[in-house]
Amino acid sequence: MSMRSQVYEWDASRTNVSGTEMTNAQFGSALSIFVGGFGNNITKPAETTATQFCVIEDIAVTPSAFVFNSNIATTLSTYRGLPTCNAAGTSSGIAGPRAYVQIRINTTDYFLDPDNVGNDGVPGTASPYPRSVNFQPCFNLYPDVYVLPGQTWDVRVTAYQSNNYAAGDLVAGNLQCFVKYTLYDGPDALIANKLLEMGISVNPGNVDWYKRTLIQSQGM
Amino acid sequence: MSMRSQVYEWANLSTTGNFMLRRGLNATAVAVPVDREISVFTGQYGNNITKPAETTATQFVVIEDLAASAYVGGAVQVVINTTSYFQNPDVTQQAGVPGTASPYPRGSSDSVTSSATGIVDNGVQLLNAFELTPDVYVLPGQVWDMRYSQRLSNDSTTNTALGVIGSTLAVAAFVKYTLYDGPDALIANKLLELGVTVNPNNVDWYKRTLIEQQSAAASAAAAAAAGGAQ
Repeated sequence: MSMRSQVYEWDASRTNVSGTEMTNAQFGSALSIFVGGFGNNITKPAETTATQFCVIEDIAVTPSAFVFNSNIATTLSTYRGLPTCNAAGTSSGIAGPRAYVQIRINTTDYFLDPDNVGNDGVPGTASPYPRSVNFQPCFNLYPDVYVLPGQTWDVRVTAYQSNNYAAGDLVAGNLQCFVKYTLYDGPDALIANKLLEMGISVNPGNVDWYKRTLIQSQGM
Repeated sequence: MSMRSQVYEWANLSTTGNFMLRRGLNATAVAVPVDREISVFTGQYGNNITKPAETTATQFVVIEDLAASAYVGGAVQVVINTTSYFQNPDVTQQAGVPGTASPYPRGSSDSVTSSATGIVDNGVQLLNAFELTPDVYVLPGQVWDMRYSQRLSNDSTTNTALGVIGSTLAVAAFVKYTLYDGPDALIANKLLELGVTVNPNNVDWYKRTLIEQQSAAASAAAAAAAGGAQ
């Protein structure tokens, strides 16, 4: 299997490998979903070997909704399933975590503001996870992001609305992130590199096309 | 990485005063003027950046999607240098794409109020009736802007239909664009000259064509050299 569709889901409330749930004290900081130390993590940073080529095709994070900054409800309330405050009457205008997701290749952030400063990335409101009728995407990652052989890559989540969550650990579903990518390995990674040199999009269809072309040119 | 998908989200949220650079923890919604275009980059409301958006001599921007909150008559306009992109049929100024036609977020309601029991909407889940086709091109050296405007106040003290007096509604705008840089920006310019749509596929197609031409020329030169040697 040299072309494999891969996914990774991060939830701030899990403790696999990291051993620590995220709390609202981490809001405001960009956290790696792989090795950030909070939520479910993996054992080492994501990187491609010399014989791997990775194409990131989709990223998404928990959405938020724009509401009122003064929620006078006498009890804690939610809007479309998202919390609007952690104490009655303290809403600041956002329901949910106000979360963003950024891709980093080696030390370079992929998404920039128009003044060429790295930004927080794609808003969950534009690329929500999970998707629902209330929250649908208006962003697709096109062109895809290529991680070349030997590069280290990361996906980082930043959330800002800590006052929507009670002090203490986040619970399941409060803040989640999702990445979909295709991993090309071995000969397919070589073909992916060749396609890149030729200015052809790297996707499974084009890798198969290149293989067919090679076979045909050999008269088989 | 010379073709990059980029996004920018603006919201009238600030931690201090009416605006702030980038974003901050627990920012709160601020009132936005009615019937006035606010730059989402440098308009001094909500999150801003350090300078107006502009392309350098080696950049080419293609704006592919824009959206705004569907509340309070929100709309979003694109301005290139000093020219507004969306105009009325009589070539007069208009607010641009209404949030109800291109809602942000997709699936949002078009009416929301605050009440003693919390935040209430009318249950509507809006989808987009607008797609930005053809895309908007920002050529090298141009300044571009996205401007949010609203017909009604987002402050319930002025707009009592919003519910509880003293609450301010958060509103937002969103733009998705592709930034072509370096050689890819040159190709984008060439495609524009040729009348071909600028998108990642066509830029790749142009590169392949160049490579094929160079390969053919190299083969012909090699064949000619071999013929001369005989």
